[in-house]
Amino acid sequence: MIKNLKILFSYRELLFSLTKKELKVKYRGSVLGFFWSLLNPILTMLVYTFVFSIVLRAGIEEFAIFLICALLPFNFLSNSVNYSTGSIISNSNLVNKIYFPREILPLSIVFANLFNFLLELVALFIALAVLGYRFYLFLYVLPILIFIQFFLVVGMTLLVSALNVFFRDLQHLITIIMMVWFFGTPIIYPLQMVPERFQFIIKLNPMTVYAAYYRNIFYYIKYPEGAGFPGIMETLIAIGITLLIFFIGYFVFKKLEPRFAEEI
Amino acid sequence: MNKKENRYMGEGIKDPGNDMAVDIRSVFKRYRIYHEKIPSLKNTILRRKRTTFEEFLALDNVSFTVDHGQTLGIIGPNGSGKSTLLKLMAKILQPTSGEVIVNGSLSALLELGAGFHPDLTGRENVYINAAILGMRKRDVDKKMDDIIEFSELAKFIDTPVKNYSSGMYMRLGFSVAINVNPDILLVDEVLAVGDQAFQAKCYKVIYNFMKRGKTIIIVSHDLDTISDLCSNVVFIKDGKVEDMGKPLNIVTKYRAYIEELEKKRIIEQQSIERKKIFKTVIERNRKIVDGEEIAKLTDSSVSGETIKRFGSGDAEIQNIKLLDSKDMEIDFCEYGDNVKIVYKVLFKKRIEEPVFGIRIKDFRGNIVYGTNTRLNNIKTGIFKKGDLIKVIFNQKVPLIGGEYLISSAVAYKDNMTYCDWVNDMFAINVISRKIAEGIVDLNSSIEIKNVTGR
Repeated sequence: MIKNLKILFSYRELLFSLTKKELKVKYRGSVLGFFWSLLNPILTMLVYTFVFSIVLRAGIEEFAIFLICALLPFNFLSNSVNYSTGSIISNSNLVNKIYFPREILPLSIVFANLFNFLLELVALFIALAVLGYRFYLFLYVLPILIFIQFFLVVGMTLLVSALNVFFRDLQHLITIIMMVWFFGTPIIYPLQMVPERFQFIIKLNPMTVYAAYYRNIFYYIKYPEGAGFPGIMETLIAIGITLLIFFIGYFVFKKLEPRFAEEI
Repeated sequence: MNKKENRYMGEGIKDPGNDMAVDIRSVFKRYRIYHEKIPSLKNTILRRKRTTFEEFLALDNVSFTVDHGQTLGIIGPNGSGKSTLLKLMAKILQPTSGEVIVNGSLSALLELGAGFHPDLTGRENVYINAAILGMRKRDVDKKMDDIIEFSELAKFIDTPVKNYSSGMYMRLGFSVAINVNPDILLVDEVLAVGDQAFQAKCYKVIYNFMKRGKTIIIVSHDLDTISDLCSNVVFIKDGKVEDMGKPLNIVTKYRAYIEELEKKRIIEQQSIERKKIFKTVIERNRKIVDGEEIAKLTDSSVSGETIKRFGSGDAEIQNIKLLDSKDMEIDFCEYGDNVKIVYKVLFKKRIEEPVFGIRIKDFRGNIVYGTNTRLNNIKTGIFKKGDLIKVIFNQKVPLIGGEYLISSAVAYKDNMTYCDWVNDMFAINVISRKIAEGIVDLNSSIEIKNVTGR
């Protein structure tokens, strides 16, 4: 694995170029460019806010902020996974003709989405500042949080992009899986709303823990590892599951990688 | 190491095991060809195994080495495994068994402009393409001017490549690729880029590359290029190394092989075309045999081309066939084969000592050969109404390749009047490796003697 990391490091410029390409291609030819990527979460936020605070009257203060704090990190995960599923197949001309570490293809999508995510966070900071949230108090936790979530995202993208070469219908399945995952994470609802007997399962989902952290930092403005959720134990379990997914993704990818060129 | 390999090494490549740029050791590559192209998750889970597949051996125990600084050409017919071999060297594919060892940085020009994105400009694509080929950004920055100049695309470099012509696309791809500067360069049929002037430039670059002591491995069907550029050539056929050595010997050998292949192809083609022409004739004639009225003519003088079948009808020819020596029905044979021409005769009346015959005509209607029982002094005997007999002509076929038509006949004892005569009712194809004029092979052996001043 160390050796692979070295090789990957030697190809860092390719990773950088492809990430840049990913971003450029996405926004080239549209006037608003990057702002389109902001528009998407904003619209989602508006729709859910309408439904939950006006129609269903869930009674959550500042629902829009409550929602967006957890929505943005989840979008980072789901966009990365959705876009990278077909990344090996759609680059068949490269995979068939040139050698380079194949993980660069899904990784470039993760990095492009990470870049988007960071820009979205900056936009969020501005909005929070305007609204008078003291979001900066616990901001130092954020880099660690993003770093840990990054491993989850990478593990998932490696897994699905490799498997999709061999099982093409995964592409369709993955959208559904991500939707289930979305509703299985306390994003549009608070964890307390989940009946006690289901909380155990929901808490096993590492995104539940990470979403709670983001929310603690930006929305509740409380020390993220204080009393209540998530506690130390829950955090460690989430990190454990994240690493497990990361290594499964990595080893599945490495196992299947030599056969990519033949299969596509 | 087996004998074969030893011989090759002796002839072609010196001193194995020492300072090799590329070392290929008994490499096998097996592909699976799935009958159902894309396996689905459902099938995999439910049946717990994938759909059926066939295995295809693309490389069959291939071994050779390439010295540093050598220019190696790989030639062979389509599908012989050349590109698979390059892809193994480029690490795109993994061998099924065996080892591919590469010493030094390697760049593969298997496709020019691979990974160009249509929406990005030429310049942006240069950065990406160079990075894919393993180049650092600062090196690209330094070489950007060279790359643009070489590609002759200065005016269009900031235009999205989707607006490029295919020639421009290839030129840009080539310009990037040759500026990567690896120790080992793999080239697969990409030298035919652009117009004459650009091609000349490409060759110059390759020559420079060679001069600087770099290793180049070229796959090409252009044998002149191979002879010009390469210091060694490997000839691959059906996934095996057929021969290797100096370009002159190997290219000559390969040319001979290609010519042979081409000859066979032409003969096959001709036979197919002739078959098409004759098909209608044969079908029509078969129909006649299958029960149409026999023209009540007994005059032999009207055995002209226009009448397909005539005779008294006292006996009827049926079911003519061509069989090989193992009695399998065939519709072509090879020069020199022993075949059987067989037909059945059904007697409608009592006939004494009938004569059975065949006649073979060529494409233009010339009689090539004819024979009958009387000419062979065979007593046929007496047949009564309702008798069904089989007549077998055991034949050798010393004919030049082509299409021939068979006529058959049953005559009365006088051999002047006919019970049934069927013209051109059956066509046979003769495949011959010998190319000669005319119809019959007279088995020439040719000598040339210098008799000057005698």
